[in-house]
Amino acid sequence: MVRIRKEPYLIINIFLAGIILLVMLYSGIFSPDKDNYPVTCIHEQLTGVPCVSCGLSHSFSLIVRGRVEEAYEWNIYGMRVFIFFMAQFFMRILFSYIYIRYTETRKQLINLDIAGSSAIFLISFWHFFAWIVRFS
Amino acid sequence: MNKNLMLKNMEETQNNTGQNLGIAALITAIVTFVLAVIPCVGLIAIIPGIIAIVLASVGLSNAAKSDSPRGILLAGLIIAIIASLISFSQVFVAGKIAEKADKWPNRIEEIVDEVQKDVLKDLEDANISIKIESGDEKIEINADANKGAREKTLEELEGEDASVIDSVDKK
Repeated sequence: MVRIRKEPYLIINIFLAGIILLVMLYSGIFSPDKDNYPVTCIHEQLTGVPCVSCGLSHSFSLIVRGRVEEAYEWNIYGMRVFIFFMAQFFMRILFSYIYIRYTETRKQLINLDIAGSSAIFLISFWHFFAWIVRFS
Repeated sequence: MNKNLMLKNMEETQNNTGQNLGIAALITAIVTFVLAVIPCVGLIAIIPGIIAIVLASVGLSNAAKSDSPRGILLAGLIIAIIASLISFSQVFVAGKIAEKADKWPNRIEEIVDEVQKDVLKDLEDANISIKIESGDEKIEINADANKGAREKTLEELEGEDASVIDSVDKK
């Protein structure tokens, strides 16, 4: 029996999975039809021109509701970021299971997790990085 | 014997505190990193970034005292510092946006002026006729916008310059 309190990797996985669930909950609670999102874009407010991450909340809400085509209209990168979060959620569960089940490969598993998650993160958020670099 | 046990317990508690701080710092740092790379929202990530750096630093000092493992703490600290730097870089992004926002009203004014000039140029040689009917009464307003010919006619008739001739005929 694995004591979770003594395994930092498992605690981190549980917390991250929880945070991803909160993101999904946020997308589910706030409606794209009512447009009642608490976060607004400073760029759009100041210039009237939407930035690269504008419409991300709308996009997430629409994906959660199964309206994928509309989600693309709101933010073209919304689906990519959503897939990153979903992949991370399932990775947390899978990697935690492997960590508990195969104790002898823990070190390799953590290394694989770090490398894999970093790669997925870079692929998913690449356009946002590029936008920040272009503006800075 | 009891003293040894107490010392061992104290050491374990200290190790746990360091580890817990490390976990908290790493989770905060990861969340900060994800937030920091999202344009516009990234600016807010400075706050959790600073929290993560403080947590990791306190954890590291505890770990140095009790000689406990520092892997998670260092990972948390490094990720938090990188995330905070990315978040801080968005201050410059905000600056650029503000600069752009200042230029927008002037640009709009310039575009309106250009459009106005174009319209006036197009209307320079136009003849405008407005007819208003109210019961038996009819009013016709003719505005001859042919500027060149108008000026010439005026000079001939009155010997002085005028810019607009409007004739109102009541029928």
